[in-house]
Amino acid sequence: MAIQVVFMMCPVGIGVALLRRYARAVPAGPAARDDVPELLLRWAAGLLSAQRAEWGQAMLGELDHIDGRSRRWRFAVGCAGAVLLLPPWGRAAAAVWAMVAVAAGATGVYAAVVVRHGLGVGGWVWGAIILVFLVSYTLAASVLLRRPAVAVPGLLGGLFVILAWLAIQRFTFAGVIAPMIAPFARLAVIGAPLLVGVAGTLWSGSAVDGRRIARLAALSAALGLYLYATIAVAVLGAGGPLQDTGWTASSIISDRLGNNVIKLLVVLPLVTATIGWAAAAATARFRPRLAAGVVSVPVTAVRVRSWRRIAYLLLLLAVLAAAVFLAVISGVSGR
Amino acid sequence: MQRNRPPSAQAISVLRALAADPARWRYGYDLAAEVHLKSGSLYPILVRLADRGLLETSWEPSQGSRPPRHLYRLTLAGREYVAALPAVRAGRAVPHPRNRWSEA
Repeated sequence: MAIQVVFMMCPVGIGVALLRRYARAVPAGPAARDDVPELLLRWAAGLLSAQRAEWGQAMLGELDHIDGRSRRWRFAVGCAGAVLLLPPWGRAAAAVWAMVAVAAGATGVYAAVVVRHGLGVGGWVWGAIILVFLVSYTLAASVLLRRPAVAVPGLLGGLFVILAWLAIQRFTFAGVIAPMIAPFARLAVIGAPLLVGVAGTLWSGSAVDGRRIARLAALSAALGLYLYATIAVAVLGAGGPLQDTGWTASSIISDRLGNNVIKLLVVLPLVTATIGWAAAAATARFRPRLAAGVVSVPVTAVRVRSWRRIAYLLLLLAVLAAAVFLAVISGVSGR
Repeated sequence: MQRNRPPSAQAISVLRALAADPARWRYGYDLAAEVHLKSGSLYPILVRLADRGLLETSWEPSQGSRPPRHLYRLTLAGREYVAALPAVRAGRAVPHPRNRWSEA
């Protein structure tokens, strides 16, 4: 129940975050076309390091002189792809390769389980869905890893979330497969991202980077824990925690693999990113010096309109209220 | 380390297109059309050429409210490099695929 409430609130949080992002976008000049290719390229150009920022402006300037929808699309997509791969990557390359290794490892272990236990077509269909998740998360994380102010605290935050989740499951394979019913578990699920959001904002000195740190922590924790949980299913098979009677071995394994996806690739990143984002925003509210850091980043040139401010504050309050509510519920159910 | 890698065929085609009229400033899109390269291939090549000092860049003054365009032409070192290219290519008996200078 408690997790579901947070889970339901996540799409609302994402919606408000997108609204805020739209309100803070770079103001377009009078001649700017503001079509999708330009928006895509403007977003991609924002990912370039300061050393390469000039090249992003060069691509945008060139796009402005290209006519025809398909030509604009081709040019923008090509440039966006180049921007994502353009060096210098520096130390970020090692972290990205580590993420790729984790994602590839999880895929390999999943495939081995499907083959070994003969899970059939359904297992491969789920495998394809999981692959989309893993590739998306790795790409999203690689974008964040290119920012030096975000990479190290984000990865440390992810490690902290992983350790918090493993601690509440007592660092055992059986624990990671079993449902999280202990009251302490819910506190940790909420408390870890709260701490990551607050610490990330204080560390980076910026509310924007604090939210990015929370997102990177969510992605890296999801990838790491998913690999761990998939290995747990591979090792335990149909053994380990007792399941309802009448289940076959393959149905137990399928159920566990499916639970891993929902719990670790959907709920964990959504809950961690949303709560971490709210915590980072709240930290900046209480420390105006950090909120002022928001103005220094290039994408924040326009003041947020008043109604968006209200929507944002309402969501922030809702997330904090939910956190308190869940903490109270957890405490009550634990007695 | 990347500086010692030989250029790819695509990079060479860009260099030769620029060397055809070395004094003239060129736009990125026109260059891409001329050498039949996609933007995703062209810009990484331009970045690397500029990093190696073979290419100089400039900004065209913006017209009205439109964003300025980036311009490119070869530096003196770039012209000398292109002039030496046939000898460089002849010296490579068997091009190794991993030595593709344009790859990230």
